[in-house]
Amino acid sequence: MVLTGSEIRRMREAGSIVIEPFDERQIEQNSYGCCLGAEILEYSSEQIDPHLGLQVIRHTIPEEGLVLHPNRFYLGQTAERIGGVHFASELYANLSTALCGMFIQTSAPLGHTGAVICWTLEIVVTQPLRVYAGARIGKVCFWTNLGGELKYQGRYVGSEGVVPSRIIMDSK
Amino acid sequence: MILTGTEISRRVHNGDITIAPFLSKNVNPNSYNFRLAADMKVYQEGVIDIKEEKPTDDIHIGPEGFVLEPMRLYLATTMETMGSTKFVPTYAARSSIARLGMFINLSASLGDIGFVGKWTIQLLAINRIRVYAGMDIGQMMFWDVQGDIDLYDGKYQGATEAYASRIFMDYQKKALPVPMAMPSTAHPLEVVDARAAELDGV
Repeated sequence: MVLTGSEIRRMREAGSIVIEPFDERQIEQNSYGCCLGAEILEYSSEQIDPHLGLQVIRHTIPEEGLVLHPNRFYLGQTAERIGGVHFASELYANLSTALCGMFIQTSAPLGHTGAVICWTLEIVVTQPLRVYAGARIGKVCFWTNLGGELKYQGRYVGSEGVVPSRIIMDSK
Repeated sequence: MILTGTEISRRVHNGDITIAPFLSKNVNPNSYNFRLAADMKVYQEGVIDIKEEKPTDDIHIGPEGFVLEPMRLYLATTMETMGSTKFVPTYAARSSIARLGMFINLSASLGDIGFVGKWTIQLLAINRIRVYAGMDIGQMMFWDVQGDIDLYDGKYQGATEAYASRIFMDYQKKALPVPMAMPSTAHPLEVVDARAAELDGV
């Protein structure tokens, strides 16, 4: 089952969900509204090979915003650390963001039980788009589990900034 | 849990789910097929600044259909007014649509309980694809919830056509005085109103 907004509030108080920083006004009907962090990253490698290291360029979104361009791929992050200690979670764009022509994840919405992190966002835009740090861009929802819990101990544990793909670890 | 088609039909009849018009033939084992309406919007050229309203142009899909240009965003809408006061709606493209090389939303498949309106969908074609008004384009699913329900009353409520993004309103709002901590019991109606102004997630 999906947790309602009031249940998200209750489970956060009980320690079963982590949202930091937390703002009561960002609780939605069945999700928590999350914001864009200030860091944006792009791959600079000419081609991406899952077996090799990845070169990256880091940008910080300035006060006047940063224009994102079509046909490029950006990684961003949520300003919040969010996750379910006892719930699975999923991250989606909110309607306002998608209507601007912006993906904030590309077919990878699932957050595992125990993964309490700043979510790295996969950003693609369809038209040049000026974004600002702190913009309310996404929503995280929480799902009840059926079955014994395995806690996430994957390679993105403790992520606090934008984390490029660590797929290279698959081959080690 | 996800609702079955049988349960979706039952809930439409008892009013927990709104799908209007409702066609029995569009009920699937776990979803309801919704249709593409004839009127769409596209943004004018240039940079979209999320703090400002971006002008749009209208497109009408005639009887001969309309060819979507690859990688251009079209804001389209469902023919149906849909929503639920009991279940969380999520939607996806029909598999047959996705297989043509088309997205119908950009990572925004999650709805809010209590939103009832025509859904603005985001058409993005990888290939050059001709679309027709009235075609079954996507499917709405409904999920059970845990917890007390508070109904959506945000900036897209009651939509009757495709809406361009209203994200710029977030910034107009921030210019207003910041409300003090919300009273917990004293004026429950005022609390609902104050929150409604903030609830703009979808």
